[in-house]
Amino acid sequence: MHRYRFTMPDKRTLVANLVLLVLAGAAVMTSLSMGTVQIAPAEVIRALTGTTVDPMAAFVINELRLSRVMAGLLSGAALALAGCLMQTLARNRLATPGIIGIDNAATAFAVASVVGTGIALAPSAMALAGAATATVLAFGLAGANGTRGYRFIVAGLGIGAIAGAVTQVMLSQVAIDDANAAYPWTVGSLNARTPESVQLLALGLAVGWLALMFLSRAVNSLQFSDPVAITLGIKLKRTRLLGLGLSVLMTGLAVSVCGPVGLVALLAPELARSLCRPGKVPLTASALAGAGFMVVADLLGRTLLSPLEIPVGIITAIVGSPYLLWILLRPSTRSLT
Amino acid sequence: MSASLSARAKPRNVVASRPLLLPLTAAGFFLFWVIVASLVYGAGPVTPLEVLATLVGQGSSEAWFVVTELRLPRTLIGLTTGLALGIAGALLQAMTRNPLAEPGLLGVSAGAGFAVAVAILVGASTATLTTLIAQAGALAGCSLVIAATRVQGLGNDPVRLVLAGATLSGLLLALTSMLMLMDQRAADEIRFWITGSIAGKTLATFQATLPSLVIALALVVVVARPLAAMALGERAAVGLGHHPGRIRFLITIIVALLVGAATALAGPLIFVGLVVPFIARAFAGPDIRKTLWLCLPIGPAVVLAADVVSRLIAAPAEMPLGVVTALIGAPVLLAIVRAGRMPSL
Repeated sequence: MHRYRFTMPDKRTLVANLVLLVLAGAAVMTSLSMGTVQIAPAEVIRALTGTTVDPMAAFVINELRLSRVMAGLLSGAALALAGCLMQTLARNRLATPGIIGIDNAATAFAVASVVGTGIALAPSAMALAGAATATVLAFGLAGANGTRGYRFIVAGLGIGAIAGAVTQVMLSQVAIDDANAAYPWTVGSLNARTPESVQLLALGLAVGWLALMFLSRAVNSLQFSDPVAITLGIKLKRTRLLGLGLSVLMTGLAVSVCGPVGLVALLAPELARSLCRPGKVPLTASALAGAGFMVVADLLGRTLLSPLEIPVGIITAIVGSPYLLWILLRPSTRSLT
Repeated sequence: MSASLSARAKPRNVVASRPLLLPLTAAGFFLFWVIVASLVYGAGPVTPLEVLATLVGQGSSEAWFVVTELRLPRTLIGLTTGLALGIAGALLQAMTRNPLAEPGLLGVSAGAGFAVAVAILVGASTATLTTLIAQAGALAGCSLVIAATRVQGLGNDPVRLVLAGATLSGLLLALTSMLMLMDQRAADEIRFWITGSIAGKTLATFQATLPSLVIALALVVVVARPLAAMALGERAAVGLGHHPGRIRFLITIIVALLVGAATALAGPLIFVGLVVPFIARAFAGPDIRKTLWLCLPIGPAVVLAADVVSRLIAAPAEMPLGVVTALIGAPVLLAIVRAGRMPSL
């Protein structure tokens, strides 16, 4: 087991992490102070530390906004971390949980427990089961063709389409009078979260991140071809299995909080990769970038059309899709990994 | 011994000369029964026997209303949608030489859908206008796809194009959702329409799409032969006296007309344009003209069958048609992608 040991990140990665941490912190502060009621940053800090004299500010910050911002922070970090990990495992830049259908499957399972199909498990547990099912399916279908290239991705697209249709079937079965109640589950929003699912996500993210810090050397070696990784002394099968398990854990728990919010898992690792030292898998940086991105996207969703609220999944889709299109349509035939 | 010898003596391109009559008859027969099922089954207190009585001209007035006012328009719209999407899929696949090039997957339907959502939002409500706007949206989407296939390297990778199309669809869907947030009245109308459904449509919507369907089908007759020549390669087509640029332009127009009409009728249905030519090719072989002939009965049959299923599976509630087509189509997509060698067109 001595292969899995904590390794200190290099200097450039440390600086990048610090920058991203500051940015995420700024996003959190802005998100806490902005909304239907504007609260000055100084007042936000007083409210957080419990020294404010204004009961309204204390209520708005601590009871309303803080839990939402925390949910966004945690789910963004978990999605991005899972995305970065899965990209590395599949050796495919596009292999993020959202694109290969894992988000949708987790949603379908979570909805199954919410709409009362007689399955009494908690949504979080069901989302985990859904994420695991889709992962097994996607990697199983890749089979001899491997996970490189676009074919694997389109197989995942098919899985996602089936899961999305199943979600629709269940939502239409229960005949929810208020279509808005079902809405968060189809686009991704921070409105449908429950406190328990957020706590579980926090726990899962902590476990996942710590485990990955010990696995980082092995994960870095996965970027090379299999023979090289084996020569470096990596137990390939065990590392892959662990990595997939961790990314399923984090994706499932995140989806049970925020629904299928797409493209965070693609954009955040891209940003992290451009900041960190080339050749290293930027796990922590991805998580930080994802957390900040999610909080900013939710802030935009709350404030752009205020008093209307745009679900965060729509914002990430509008921001992320053009970027993904650009990756796909640019003439250069640069490799996907 | 002699049997194996004669088998070997057969020409290798035997696929190209498959007889068309048998599959065409079988598909026509199947279509007939699906139409009957579409008229007979459904929610409502009308029993199948009453429907049959109505059809031969002696049913109750209530049954007459249900059959002629509700089920007949729905059946006609299902027929038209299937026809349009099947033909459009076959044409697009033949032109891009990509078995996955499907209007729904590539974002053409999403383009039409977005245009209609905008139209509903600004208050356009007449059927003719909706059809035209949907066709304009489909034209934009289709031009984008054609432009994308010309991008270097993309033509060699059938699957990459699909992913780009899915991304485009996702983007347009997100924008549509945002429009829905802005206007509650429009949102209800759009939400009903966007999941894909042919329920509750009147004959007026059907009639509004008829002229463009006739034009599109006439153009298909013109373009079928040059397109078959294109299958031999662009140079061969030029050598045979055809103009690839002109063919591409015509097909863009046809696909936009067909997909726009279908989307105006039934909402953005994905996977129909994938499944129908897939089945047709299995019987017709690689000749695009034969595939198109077979798409004529298979397209309507697939959509109508899916619609009947959508009525029965969740009775007394109804499931959106788009959900059923996705459940049928996605496994076909997986099968095509999974096949060791991508069937080249």
